Amino acid sequence: MGPLIPNGIIPIEWDSIIAIFIGIVFGFVLESSGFSSSRKLAGVFYGYDFAVLKVFFTAAAVSVIGLYYMDYLGYLDINQLYVHPTYLWGAIIGGVIMGVGFVSGGFCPGTSLCAVAIGKLDAWIYVGGIMIGVFLFSELYSFFEPIYNGYFLGNITLIDSFGWNPYWVIFIFSIIAIVAFAVSDMVRKKVKKVFY
Amino acid sequence: MSSKNKKNSHVYWNPYYGGFLLGIIIIFTFYLTGRGLGASGAMKSSVVTIVDKVAPTHAENNAYYSKFISKEDSPMNTWLVFEALGVLIGAFISGGLNGRIKWRVQHSPKISSNRRLVFALLGGILFGLGAQIARGCTSGAALSGMAVLSSGGFLTMLAIFGSAYATAYFFRKNWI
Amino acid sequence: MDKKKIARVAAFRYKILAIIFLVLAGGLVLLPKYQKQEGIKSETLLSHANSTERYISTDQIANKIINQDPSFILIDVRNEDSFSNYSIPNAINIPLKKIFDEESLAYLNQNQFDVVFFSNDNFYADQAWVLCDRLGFKNLRVLNGGLNKWFSTIINPKMPNEDMPDEEFELYSTRKAASMFFGVVYSDQVTTEDSNVKPEAPKQVITVQKKKKKVAEGGC
Repeated sequence: MGPLIPNGIIPIEWDSIIAIFIGIVFGFVLESSGFSSSRKLAGVFYGYDFAVLKVFFTAAAVSVIGLYYMDYLGYLDINQLYVHPTYLWGAIIGGVIMGVGFVSGGFCPGTSLCAVAIGKLDAWIYVGGIMIGVFLFSELYSFFEPIYNGYFLGNITLIDSFGWNPYWVIFIFSIIAIVAFAVSDMVRKKVKKVFY
Repeated sequence: MSSKNKKNSHVYWNPYYGGFLLGIIIIFTFYLTGRGLGASGAMKSSVVTIVDKVAPTHAENNAYYSKFISKEDSPMNTWLVFEALGVLIGAFISGGLNGRIKWRVQHSPKISSNRRLVFALLGGILFGLGAQIARGCTSGAALSGMAVLSSGGFLTMLAIFGSAYATAYFFRKNWI
Repeated sequence: MDKKKIARVAAFRYKILAIIFLVLAGGLVLLPKYQKQEGIKSETLLSHANSTERYISTDQIANKIINQDPSFILIDVRNEDSFSNYSIPNAINIPLKKIFDEESLAYLNQNQFDVVFFSNDNFYADQAWVLCDRLGFKNLRVLNGGLNKWFSTIINPKMPNEDMPDEEFELYSTRKAASMFFGVVYSDQVTTEDSNVKPEAPKQVITVQKKKKKVAEGGC
């Protein structure tokens, strides 16, 4: 029963090797989907290309449905998976800052790595910028610490927060995703084409 | 040959297809390792390593760096760093197959490449800062968080896209 | 003709995909839910229960204690009164009621030592064994016959009759030696240093903290 490495079914030594292989496939899919192009990524905010939205939501919906099916069939224990911790204001403020960075730079860290690999100089600068950002955060850690460590709500899921049934959450999430895809296609038809 | 490549170099996969495969990878990652994907963690490790090399005492005294420094192990020896290496390799393979590998600055024809680089740097700084505050970027917090229905993941995702849409107007010159 | 047909289907391809997608998501809602069983499967439990290895004899335990074998811990599952009255040296008292307490689990759920349960007979020890085995704890044993057998074999071994085979006599002498180790005084041996025969104060058993299942670490 999964997850395989934390349960000792695959020895921990494989961890790094598996990491590289997963990374290769991850990078390959990102690059092939066009995520190495900042103008394609930024298109989602101006309505001329919704690849980010489509890839992102499809991936989230497919993975959550798949994980819950695996949990249902007993291949995986969903309670053993790592749940991203919720620091209420940290998530919001960090997200807002990241959003501005996203529009300004046109990448997120994962996609910038793809762009670095194929020689986009703006991505090299962008990665340098991320490192400076991390450096600034660390130097000013005492200033950010109350947000970073405060308002900790635990490693909670939507089920814990609102008491929703996870299966309904997934179903509604899928409907939202499909509606979003349909709307994005309609918007794209109306917006002036941008060639990049 | 080269003309054919040029013609195809901007043809990408169908986004649903890419998204589907990405979802499968996330499932696979969770199934094998019990954790999600990530990207900014590798950059954090690099920064910690550099600071530790340049100014070890400073790194030890700083409350944030010292979390990631241990005597026995290099901060580079983490899952995320290996994964990021894999991403570089994978993207290189994909870019190579489609003839997209080239040194260049990609920018809208309306702006200069210097302006593009300045905004890229600015965006990177902001994203690096934000990713540390939120403990994860779009892949680590939002995508992998949403896969397990983490409240924080959804919150981060909403905040990123919300603020990006809210501020998109001010950056429109750079893109369209 | 065929091409036209394909084109007509292809025009709907996203709608078809969306429907497949919704059916899969809806399937999760509609699938019958069942309570997941924690721990090992019933069949595995049965095969563990039938295994002869789950019992350990009093002689083996006596031998291990005398040789100061550090590889096991003795768990007395009787109540506190009986435990304070008498128990096997170095045993730890975890009454059956408290078996799932936080501090008890530290002793039971670990991979480092063999855990040997005992009570007056097999009854409570077997119950403890089943409860713990079902949760998937490792290296669980039951002291065969419990304290009653401990008394009748180790503390107060029966002298074999003269027509019994040699092995019985050998067994008797080792048991007798063992009982002396555990503080029984025989009249034919009372000559020298009595104090040496006394059992040592129960030594501290170093337990491992319950090793939590390795929690997967974070993303970014």
